[in-house]
Amino acid sequence: MPKKQVSLDVRQLDNFVYDMSRCIKCKGCYWVEHTYMPGVNFSTRCPSNTWNDFDSYGAFGKMRIGMAVAEGRLPWTPKLLEIIYADPLCGACDVGCKRNLDLEIELSLEALRVKAVKDGAGPMPAHKKVAENIAKTHNQFGSPHQNRKKWVTGDIQVAAKADALYFVGCSASYLNPEIAQATAKTLNASGTPFMLMPDEWCCGNTLYSVGMVDEAQALARRNVDAVKATGAKTVILSCAEGYRMWKTDYPKMLDVATRDLGFQVMHLVEFADAMVKKGTLKPTKPVNARVAYHDSCSIGRLADSWIPWKGERGWMGTVSPPLKRRRGTEGLYAEPRNILKAIPGLNFVEMPRTRENAFCCGAGRGTKEAFPQLASFSAKHRLDEVKSVGAELLVSACPWCKNNFALAAKETGNPVKVMDISELILASV
Amino acid sequence: MAIVKEAYKALEAIVGSKYISDDPAICEGYRSGPGGYESGLGYERVMTKIPAAVTLPRNTEEVQRIVKVCNRYKVPYVPYSTGFYGPRSHCHVENELLVDLKRLNDFEIDEKHFYAVVGSGVIYSPLQEEAMKRGAYVIIGGGGAQASVIANLIGDGWSPLSHRIGLPHRRILGTEVVLPDGELLKLGTLAVGEDPFWGDGIGPDLRGLLRGYTGLRGCLGIVTKMAVKLLPFQPERLVPTGISPNTALALPEKRVKWVNYQMPSKEAQVKAMFEIGKAEVGGAVTKVPLFWRAIAKAESKEEFWQIWGKENADTIKNFHIVRVLFIGFTSEEQMQYDENVIGDIMKELGAVTRPTKPSDESWIKNADSAGMWLMCGSYVSVDYVIETLSQAVVHGESYADLKRKYTPPLMPDYGDPGWFQSFELGHQGYSEFLIYWDQDEDTTGVDHFYLETSKMNIKNRYYTSLLGPHQPLYLTGPKYGPNYHEWLLKIKDEFDPLWVCHPPVPLAHDAFVEKADWMKPVKDWKSPEVLKKVPI
Repeated sequence: MPKKQVSLDVRQLDNFVYDMSRCIKCKGCYWVEHTYMPGVNFSTRCPSNTWNDFDSYGAFGKMRIGMAVAEGRLPWTPKLLEIIYADPLCGACDVGCKRNLDLEIELSLEALRVKAVKDGAGPMPAHKKVAENIAKTHNQFGSPHQNRKKWVTGDIQVAAKADALYFVGCSASYLNPEIAQATAKTLNASGTPFMLMPDEWCCGNTLYSVGMVDEAQALARRNVDAVKATGAKTVILSCAEGYRMWKTDYPKMLDVATRDLGFQVMHLVEFADAMVKKGTLKPTKPVNARVAYHDSCSIGRLADSWIPWKGERGWMGTVSPPLKRRRGTEGLYAEPRNILKAIPGLNFVEMPRTRENAFCCGAGRGTKEAFPQLASFSAKHRLDEVKSVGAELLVSACPWCKNNFALAAKETGNPVKVMDISELILASV
Repeated sequence: MAIVKEAYKALEAIVGSKYISDDPAICEGYRSGPGGYESGLGYERVMTKIPAAVTLPRNTEEVQRIVKVCNRYKVPYVPYSTGFYGPRSHCHVENELLVDLKRLNDFEIDEKHFYAVVGSGVIYSPLQEEAMKRGAYVIIGGGGAQASVIANLIGDGWSPLSHRIGLPHRRILGTEVVLPDGELLKLGTLAVGEDPFWGDGIGPDLRGLLRGYTGLRGCLGIVTKMAVKLLPFQPERLVPTGISPNTALALPEKRVKWVNYQMPSKEAQVKAMFEIGKAEVGGAVTKVPLFWRAIAKAESKEEFWQIWGKENADTIKNFHIVRVLFIGFTSEEQMQYDENVIGDIMKELGAVTRPTKPSDESWIKNADSAGMWLMCGSYVSVDYVIETLSQAVVHGESYADLKRKYTPPLMPDYGDPGWFQSFELGHQGYSEFLIYWDQDEDTTGVDHFYLETSKMNIKNRYYTSLLGPHQPLYLTGPKYGPNYHEWLLKIKDEFDPLWVCHPPVPLAHDAFVEKADWMKPVKDWKSPEVLKKVPI
């Protein structure tokens, strides 16, 4: 068999034909990893296929569908688009598959969406509206751009110039000012000067996630250049989705390694954990609550650094030069737990599904906009798990998770309180 | 492709519109290949179709009604639990209905009498976790922790832990089967009441409909519920540790541990297994293919080949490991006794104890079958044999000899004779031969090898499990029986007179050989007339 040139470029679905063709239906993408299987309850980790039982909604079905699309055997239809887009791309399938195999499931799913857009079939109408908002107002909600920094209150010190730059993101800027404020105050409390982008625009998460890779790439280039212009050494994020964009998807789209971006990308939980260990951030005020932590996908299994790769595939499917697979091992799993355990009075309790096995809240990557019923199902399913461990407070590290859980709790009359970890940190320092 | 409109409407009325679809995108998701167990071979390419419709029943009653509709409208159907068993568990004919059983996921556990009642959609790892919470365990078959418990128990159902409890038949208790015409058959004590505790009913016993040796691949009905025997385990928790891909169960070393012994010769390897069984000690006793060790060490496909590429026929020939799982079922003292006994056996045989980690990566809870695809991308086990320990070795060597002729396209394994181990405390020897290849290459040699294994077994008078639905019935039938092929077809005709239940199984491999021109050079038996009558 002649060697074939391949790369990890999601613009070409052909790059992932080998990966899609070698799916074995072991459903490692669907089940909680068997070593950690908690029992008959909470046994799955794929929101899409838990929401809709047909195999096509699992990655194993989508790999077959992807092959059919690549080979031109399956035309785009509303049902096919639903299958491709009713999916938060949470990465559970990717790490599940890569426990045993070397298949790029997440990239295959992303490439399918890029192809849907290129073919003129995707994205979904709700995504097009988001894209319009971003083009017009630089945020995904269509809110006035001049309101972006309205969250900055008088008691927050923002430096004109600093090594650290806080990239706030659309959600915390417009919908969740409490997260932006808590993050900024935590930075202040730790004695770390920080600046903001002179003119912050959307990170482009939804654009990239739904396959609008050209539009997302333009934003990536613009944002990276803007950070470089500030001279910042570290970009800090409080949004998990934004963290993944800056750490992984920007380098992916710009064809550079994460380490070569020119600055470090950190999520608040990394920063705060380091500051607590260093002693500059001291959680001293008790928070008397039984707390469960939800691992947000984009600082967990999706958080591995990007390293560009292109090469060839040959005998027995081996590739050269060597390719270090992204298996989710860089996930920020210990950091938020360290922080929570450092807060006095806090009774931390783990849910049955944690870390790389966590069940996604269902909101991210274009799902909430186009398939709110899936996002709602996913969040309610996770809240059942919160209830199973008797937690009264659910904490996550992403505004998308917080908002989706809070809405689901409200809809079901669930008394659980939902907070972002930034708020909890602030409450204790 | 479509099933008749009236039939579709009738099915929709049973399950509701949410749980049936004939949308092409839904049906495409149920394609067998191109990857997976036995996929990428001729059988998968020639014999499998995507379904015309898929339905997801919730309970036995719905399954019965679906099957009755299929009989009424002559709609062929195939039962499907997880789809992991490759092409033989997927649609084989046009206009076929796939009955996806994943919603039959009811689960009950009887702690007092140590059994669990599972639906077809329940897989092994949740069952094992629930069992272990109660001081019990089950054997997770080599098919993997992701296999449907029922599908695995009516097909294979063994693992290294079968050292103590061998064949799965005895773990199958009260069972519900929807026969091919929709009639409900209750087996064991379920036949006379609600208690499924006994696998043996008042007779005659129809458990033969479930499996025989390795099952009938869904051509004689649908098992919807089964009570499964749980076995007593030790009480300490096995704690999951690590982040994927490096996860394992941390073992309480005084109650559970693996030990590897390097034996001086193959004879000593077999003798050790025999003596351990005779002494009735150990929780698992096995030899595994040596390249599995390379899989365990490698972090990628490329690294596997770096590690495995250093081996050769001599290193393989002279490397004999016996891997033993110690379990202190009743006490630490009992485990210490087992260790002392096995230590004496190993000392006598000149074995060297090799260091092992205090953890379990595979077999107790996570039977790691998915790793079989790492090296080449394509895999199937061509035979399972349960005879004696000494016979297992002979059988493995015959396979290795035959395999040399077909390497490539088969993966180079330098003559490794496969996996063998003790069953039933050494009363039986289990042998399994696994092959690997790259499905992008010409796979004609693999198709030929698969079939030639049957001829090798016949020639050498080896007993084998892969008969019936796994090899041409009219190649193997006249030799193993001598009339089991006719007998099997009579049973099929009796229970499924319309041949709607997963046609053309059990004649599917016969049909494949007829349809695939490249199989003609190895076809030296007469095809049955009946092939012309069954749906192909």
